[in-house]
Amino acid sequence: MDIKILGPGCPKCQKLEAMTRETLAALGRTAEVTHVTDVDAIMQYPVMFTPALVVDGVVRVQGHLPRREDLEAWLRGG
Amino acid sequence: MDSLVASLQSGASSLASYLAAHVLLCLVPAFFVAGALSALMPKESVTRWLGPTAPRWVAYPMAAVGGSLIAVCSCTVLPLFASIQKKGAGLGPAVTFLFFAPAGNILALSYTGVALGADFALARVFLSVVFGIGIGIAMATLFPGGGRAPVPDRPPAPAPASRLGRGVGPLLAALVALLLAGTVKLAPLEAVLFSTSWASPGLAALGTALAHLFPFDAARGEEGVTVHGLALVGTLVAWGVVSWRGLTHVDDRVTKGTIAALSLTVLMLVFAALRIGVDGGAARLTLTGRTLTVALLIALVVTLGRRLDPFDARQWLWETWRFVRQIAPLLLVGVFVVGLVRVWIRPGWVYAVAGENSVLANAAGVGFGIFMYFPTLVEVPVAKLFLGLGMHPGPLLAYLMADPELSLQSVLVISTLLGVRRTAGWVGLVAVFSLGAGLLWGARADGVGTGWLLLGALGWMAAIGALVKALAWLINRRPPLAKATA
Repeated sequence: MDIKILGPGCPKCQKLEAMTRETLAALGRTAEVTHVTDVDAIMQYPVMFTPALVVDGVVRVQGHLPRREDLEAWLRGG
Repeated sequence: MDSLVASLQSGASSLASYLAAHVLLCLVPAFFVAGALSALMPKESVTRWLGPTAPRWVAYPMAAVGGSLIAVCSCTVLPLFASIQKKGAGLGPAVTFLFFAPAGNILALSYTGVALGADFALARVFLSVVFGIGIGIAMATLFPGGGRAPVPDRPPAPAPASRLGRGVGPLLAALVALLLAGTVKLAPLEAVLFSTSWASPGLAALGTALAHLFPFDAARGEEGVTVHGLALVGTLVAWGVVSWRGLTHVDDRVTKGTIAALSLTVLMLVFAALRIGVDGGAARLTLTGRTLTVALLIALVVTLGRRLDPFDARQWLWETWRFVRQIAPLLLVGVFVVGLVRVWIRPGWVYAVAGENSVLANAAGVGFGIFMYFPTLVEVPVAKLFLGLGMHPGPLLAYLMADPELSLQSVLVISTLLGVRRTAGWVGLVAVFSLGAGLLWGARADGVGTGWLLLGALGWMAAIGALVKALAWLINRRPPLAKATA
């Protein structure tokens, strides 16, 4: 699973990364988590707001933090 | 040595009077509004009007609305600016958005209203709209290369529809009403409903001691520290400590600390809306229309807040506290330093440079805005200092319009996004617009009639428009070589 956190370093973006890592650990899954901070690189994705979570190329959430249960479902591969 | 003590005294007194007079009924509710906007506003409802197909007459106003509603924090501003410019409605609306965000957001406007007066706040928001759109259009004319993005063949899947969450609209309305009830100067709010006094030599002595410790000169725009103010400062410190424990992790769970922090918030606001004074050897407690209105509106906010979706409510509180943590420390340091510096500035200097509404004085206001960097919102106490020291309202407004946009630091950030030439255009336009606004506002303060002011504004706009057209022709007729290196 390939996970990208898009965010130029704002507190919410850090929070999203922490939440993602915690959830992965809780699910016992390993995945490549990359935090993309470059604005030009972020613009390559179809997002307007940060933070955004991209799981295997699909933008799952942008502009706000996800609910824990949603995050779990996405990371479980559902 | 004496002047050092005086300076520290002035810093402490400006901080204390500031905390008591401005923070509570203005900034605390404003932070809650900002948190709600950031956490609960479905942002797509604004940005869908900023896409590559949006007509210009929709895109420009919506960019201003977006700057006001969804961009309280600079970390949202830059990605959104980049995406409007590169994937959306183009350079012009992106610039409008960039302009409006620091000057037209709820925190900046409510704080300006309380510290400098409602007329300054209204002038600021109105001029920000005019400037933002004007500068956006001018930039798009000057640099047509930065036009809107091509419409993609296959439009990206629309963002999942998100509506305003259950109860969010009424909650926002109640919060804004609370903000207004706490700050607006209206007769029904000032009316005395109930008043009682009791002999209290202790409080009276404290009041005298405070007046002695923090001497103030109302003529210089200084505010003293009262007994009520001291109590409020104490409450505010306690609130900060309790909230730190109760609100920092509120996005995960609501704890007893959260309940304590919120209860203290309610008590603190009601306490701030009371009027407590000391005269002679007696203390006097007064309930005004404001006290009642604030209490009722808080009850409404609490009721509506409890009916929110629990996840939304936790996000709201978390965002609110994040704004407080991010902005308040810098603001407090800024206010203290402004107080320190005040002792050293002779009113004569301010008067000599900017005591009158001349072109030079307005230019000085703009220049000061460029070369001084103040963190978010600190431009307001700085402006208040200068107003108290005798600065003319015209140059003051010129400064207030230019400062949030044009500090050297923000210019550097913008230049990495826009390139040097466009940044130069942006700086020049903001400076010219601010200069004009200062002159007109100053003329209004000097009693020039509205008709002349309108004529002046139109003339100024026409002059800028002609200048932009001429510059655009000059820039764009250059051989392609110049463009390639740009």
